[in-house]
Amino acid sequence: MSVHAAGHSSGIAELDPLIRRVVGGRLRDQSALDDVVQETLARTMAARIRLDDGALAPYAIVTARNLVSGLWRREERSQRHLHRLVDRWEPPGPDDDVVLREQAEAVAVALAELPPRERLGLVAHELEGRETASLAEEWGSTPGAVAAQLKRARAKLRVEYLLALGRIDPPTPLCRPVLMALSGGERRRQRELEAGQHLLECDFCSDMGPTLLQSREKGAEDDVQVPVECDADVVAARQRAREVAAEVGFSGTDLTLISTAVSEIARNIVQFARRGEVVLTRVEDDGRSGVRVVARDAGPGIADLDRAEQDGFSTYGGMGLGLPGCRRLMDEFEVTSKVDKGTTVVMTKWRQQPN
Amino acid sequence: MATTAEPGIEVGGTDGRLLPELVSHLRQHRTALREEWATRITAAHLLSAMTPHEISTETTSVYDNYVEVLETGSVEALQQYARDLSERIIPRGVETHEVVEIVLLLRDVLARSLFEKYHDDFSLLNEVLDAYEPAANRIANTVAVSFVDERERVIRQQQEAIRELSTPVLQVRERLLILPIIGVLDRQRTKQLTEQLLSGIRTHRAKVVVIDVTGVPAIDESVANHLVQTVDASRLMGASVIITGLSSEIAQTLVTIGVDLNKMNTIGDLQGGIEEAERFLGFHVTRSDGS
Amino acid sequence: MLVSILRQGDFLIASIHTALDDTEMERFRQDVVTRIGQFRSRGVIIDVAALDVIDSFGSRCLADLAHMARFRGAQTVIVGIQPDVAFAIVQLGMDLDVHTTLDLEEGLALLERLTAGSRTGHSAIGVLGDDR
Repeated sequence: MSVHAAGHSSGIAELDPLIRRVVGGRLRDQSALDDVVQETLARTMAARIRLDDGALAPYAIVTARNLVSGLWRREERSQRHLHRLVDRWEPPGPDDDVVLREQAEAVAVALAELPPRERLGLVAHELEGRETASLAEEWGSTPGAVAAQLKRARAKLRVEYLLALGRIDPPTPLCRPVLMALSGGERRRQRELEAGQHLLECDFCSDMGPTLLQSREKGAEDDVQVPVECDADVVAARQRAREVAAEVGFSGTDLTLISTAVSEIARNIVQFARRGEVVLTRVEDDGRSGVRVVARDAGPGIADLDRAEQDGFSTYGGMGLGLPGCRRLMDEFEVTSKVDKGTTVVMTKWRQQPN
Repeated sequence: MATTAEPGIEVGGTDGRLLPELVSHLRQHRTALREEWATRITAAHLLSAMTPHEISTETTSVYDNYVEVLETGSVEALQQYARDLSERIIPRGVETHEVVEIVLLLRDVLARSLFEKYHDDFSLLNEVLDAYEPAANRIANTVAVSFVDERERVIRQQQEAIRELSTPVLQVRERLLILPIIGVLDRQRTKQLTEQLLSGIRTHRAKVVVIDVTGVPAIDESVANHLVQTVDASRLMGASVIITGLSSEIAQTLVTIGVDLNKMNTIGDLQGGIEEAERFLGFHVTRSDGS
Repeated sequence: MLVSILRQGDFLIASIHTALDDTEMERFRQDVVTRIGQFRSRGVIIDVAALDVIDSFGSRCLADLAHMARFRGAQTVIVGIQPDVAFAIVQLGMDLDVHTTLDLEEGLALLERLTAGSRTGHSAIGVLGDDR
């Protein structure tokens, strides 16, 4: 299960100059630029398993664009709201109700777009808790086929929902199929449609695409973010990691292994990059649950990744056990690093051991 | 008269007078009916795991309980008896379907005798059967449910026992643990083994652990690594580890992953390992007594 | 109180009562070594039973402490490493080459032997696992 760093991460790392060019054309501020590049790389890395390789660079580019425009929007807004001081809590506005109603209407419209059988199946499965097996019996099909059908229906529902919510018709006939392929994570279909090319050409889809992919990240809003810039933050990060892992259902030894690994990478940030963050996420895949740890910084980076991952190689004043040690403590482990740009470590531990 | 409250059974239907009559009929013909039932059980090749004597004893008890339920309307005593009975016969390999069939056989044997007794008076027969059948079905249900409950409990218990047995941490004497590993070691089992051993060291305050791998055919490199880590972790908890019964295959795997066998305490067989461990513990006893 | 360092005859008993960050850990190490010199202690117990994580830095700090104590003529015994923590330390690849025992009582007994041995000129041979 563990993904070896060398092969895959280099693919992501190669995107760095490209992203830098895209963002550089839009941003002047050097540190903001670094932030956006790092974030883009991290998001691309997270979405990679669902993307065709050819779609990787386009996805990174549209993500970077979105991040930059998001940054602009935030800046504008913060200037507009400067006089409101620092109270970040916003009372429920009078239009919240309207928003909720609009969302409900969008769901209804989106559901209506599905073929009747898929619509009924989805409602029966999601709302009434019907099992795929019993649906299969009713449809004279197999549970596996029903599950695949429901998965496609869900992917389609996501697309139609976003379209209905925005009250927009996609500008080209290619948009819908491309968005569907992205939403369903169907890599072959993405390739057939040349989804990557389309993302670059079509402003509409470059806005929608990343939203669709990210909405699939289960429980993304439950991320626990721990800023790391001093010794005490290292302790905080490992304690939060223990809590999150316990919520996922890990027990005893695994809790200690996870929090030890988090302690190691958080310390790397403090010693090596001074500032960064550790993000803890509950992940689900194929019926197993786990915890994913993403540690990123915009520090000096690691010049020789392959060596840094060998036992005994010293990354900083220490004994160099950090990275290979963490790899042993976790199930999946991956580092991306770029000299003078920063380092991102993504590691995952699953509850049921993949034997 | 007949009890109507749950979990009672209403017997007697429209005419409460029927019940005592029915019960006394079944008591009167107890021997004959019970024997016929036993014969039908044997003919159907049920309870083949039990001797005729055992079958005779159990069927007598079931019969009496059965009649008692009809008489009192309360299934509590029958439930308790069925649980005890299940506990006795489950280890003998009696299956759920057998139990159900046996109780249904009794229902039919008794129904047939009622039929013979009342076949002249058709309307009376109908009344008797109307009273008898729901009660008999309820009894069958009670027995079957008790049996299944008991069976599940036994299975759960066995599974726990097997889980513990698969990596048993045994205390042979104070401060000395033995961990005989038998069978194939995979990643999951090795992990479980480590956790049990390390927590065992703390609970038993062990100073020496003998891990016997005589029963392990071969191990892959990741399991070998894990085994070495277990040894190191035990040492960090203050316990020394002696490994016994190392086959040449496993020794080879350990060398392949870079383990210096000289740094591990390995001894040919379990007996030798225990002797060495006892010498070690004895050494400590004399020394601390002396100082 | 994060840590305590108590003197008991020839020995010091240093206990960590809660999770320490790196700076606190280093200060603790320094304090223990200073006290060894101050009291001319012959042995030190480090009680780490309260630690739920000992990572590479923590392991290294404990090992350094033991070495520095040795330079000052004292033996060090780490006591109370939790089962999960012990496993994490070896998984991480740390070779924590110090004396360890299950608890304080065992630690004191071992210290008695280690220091008595050095007094009579015997080294601590015979203690299984010491030759590692």
